[in-house]
Amino acid sequence: MPFLVESIWVFWPALQGFWFSLTRWDGMSAPSFVGADNYVELAGDATFRGALLNTVIWLVLFGGLSVLGGFGMALVLLKERRGVGFYRAALFTPVVFSLVVTALVWRVFYQPDGIADTLLRAVGLEHLIRPWLADPQTALYAVILPALWRQIGYVMVLFLAGLKAIDPALHEAARMDGANSWQRLRHVTIPQLKGVNAVVLSVIVIDSLRSFDIVWSMTRGGPYHSSELLSTYMYSTAFQSLRLGYASAIAVVIFVLALAVILGYLVRAFREEAS
Amino acid sequence: MSDFDPGRRRFLGHLGLAGLGALGASSFLSACASSASGPTTSNGSGAVTIQSNLSSPQAKAAMEKLIETFNAQGKGTASLNTIASETFRTQLPTYLTSSNPPDLYTWYAGSVANDYASKNLLLDVSEVWKSLDDYPQSLRTLSTDASGKQIFVPMNNYWWGFFYRKSNFAKWGVQEPKTWTDFLALCETLKSKGIPPIGIGLGDTPWIASAWFDYLNIRINGAPFHRELLAGKQRFDDPKVKAVFTRWREALPYFDPKGKAYPFQEATTALLAGKTGMFLIGTFFADAAPKDALDDLDFFRFPIIDPAVPLAEEAPTDGFFASAKTGNPTGTKALLTYLSSVEAQEAYVKASSGIVLPANPKAKASDSPLVVKGKAMLDEAKELTQFFNRDSNDALQPTADTALTKFIDKPDQIDAILREWQAGAEKVFKG
Repeated sequence: MPFLVESIWVFWPALQGFWFSLTRWDGMSAPSFVGADNYVELAGDATFRGALLNTVIWLVLFGGLSVLGGFGMALVLLKERRGVGFYRAALFTPVVFSLVVTALVWRVFYQPDGIADTLLRAVGLEHLIRPWLADPQTALYAVILPALWRQIGYVMVLFLAGLKAIDPALHEAARMDGANSWQRLRHVTIPQLKGVNAVVLSVIVIDSLRSFDIVWSMTRGGPYHSSELLSTYMYSTAFQSLRLGYASAIAVVIFVLALAVILGYLVRAFREEAS
Repeated sequence: MSDFDPGRRRFLGHLGLAGLGALGASSFLSACASSASGPTTSNGSGAVTIQSNLSSPQAKAAMEKLIETFNAQGKGTASLNTIASETFRTQLPTYLTSSNPPDLYTWYAGSVANDYASKNLLLDVSEVWKSLDDYPQSLRTLSTDASGKQIFVPMNNYWWGFFYRKSNFAKWGVQEPKTWTDFLALCETLKSKGIPPIGIGLGDTPWIASAWFDYLNIRINGAPFHRELLAGKQRFDDPKVKAVFTRWREALPYFDPKGKAYPFQEATTALLAGKTGMFLIGTFFADAAPKDALDDLDFFRFPIIDPAVPLAEEAPTDGFFASAKTGNPTGTKALLTYLSSVEAQEAYVKASSGIVLPANPKAKASDSPLVVKGKAMLDEAKELTQFFNRDSNDALQPTADTALTKFIDKPDQIDAILREWQAGAEKVFKG
């Protein structure tokens, strides 16, 4: 029974989305079947290629740095010390804000003569000043930064939970055997975190692929598609250009990408477990 | 209406919608497939539901007052639904195609309305137009669809121009230019005084750049070519279109470099604070201006480039259309007749306090010098255009935003930009 409900809620719309990707549809008239036309067009669409590349950059930078940052912070803030709760809370606070609010705050930060420019001027780097969100060279990175600012706290909490679950006896035993702290991290902590890693990876991949709100509210994929991600391109194709068939094809690509990354990881994890 | 013009106001609304977008890829898109069960509102002879995107406080209050007066007259009852303008824009197709749609909608005249009419979604309101004999022919043509029936009832329009502060122009010792040469000379003078001459606001509101394109095109190639171009009957990579950008390039060095990064609201602040010289913008920008600054504002028309081209101005027209599927056509038409009356239009202009011109020729506009000058400018024009998205459709607007912001950044690449624009436009027209 729950499976039935699940299939109606999840699989039916997914299948419908796939069907729409084979049609031409403006959202008003009935969709008309065009076969693989949308996918052929995707293959030759320079904006789509740019969005795909940006999504990969996003996945690597946003995903990689938030794992490194989150794990590092978790290690630093693991030991119970005076005031450690305050630091943990401070790092986690950005997660509480909606990404749209985050975007508004960071936009003020980036605006001409805003805080970013003032800071650069104060340290004598005024030649670096540019319209951060309006310059195609910097727009994407200027959006990744606030996304990271938020994600690191979230990933940190996941890792903290994982680290807390490790039996202290293991570390004790390793220390008795003369392992230094680096060896203990490499051979005790990281293998013990396997379960958490799967969760973190899934969260990161899914969050990167659907990173829509922050990009949309900061640059809207602009200027001229330079910070376009697959998700923003899908949205603007669907609801600004009213080409819902083509947008569904982009959505299918996003789905396949997410599935490939996560399945790839799961298969490897299961294989390791079996051996 | 006096309220921020919503078709091009993708500003706050999208922030709200952003949350929806995050719901997930394919499931989100297909959720729209079930648009058949739209909002349930009116039935039979009940109250006429009016779906309004006039959500700024003043405009909303003005509409509420109009509906209240209409209800008191006893010719029918109406209820007002005010919706955030960006939500309204994205939902409008869903409203119109649902099986039990709201009756009446605020929207734009011109090709956007005709698009819906060609899909048989709009109510024939020729009957209402019978009582609008004294309306100018231009408005009647604008409200008529391809099959010759009226599908739109205009409420008011406004104009675009180069706005500036009188006190600043006096301080800098400069006058309004008439021709393109004068205009460039004025820019040079302001620049030499250290003032960025031309303000613009493209961060978040890249559609503002379309005003430049529209105006240069109707000044150089004329309004008929402009309309054909926007309807897909001419090509963006035509040499005539390139000529527009050659002119534009002459003015590019005078644009405020910070304008790329902030929205038009902040460009307005910059203009009022004397940080830029002038700003090509529609009258709606003044909604945010403080009262004392308003008295200091003046404008001049976009300079003449080729005197042989018939004079055209941008005059976006706002008003109403009704759903073809309304359960209460009589009540809907009664409400439309009331809304187009002198009394209703004057009440709206007064309550909304914006700088708009009522559509009814007998209704009195505000008698401020600014409005008198704006009205005179439109009356003098041989042709009126609406605005880029209104003369084409909302789907074409993003292609213009991409092309124009790229041109402002990289004018050297104009040939490639125009080729891309043409390719993007073809996709939109193909559907």
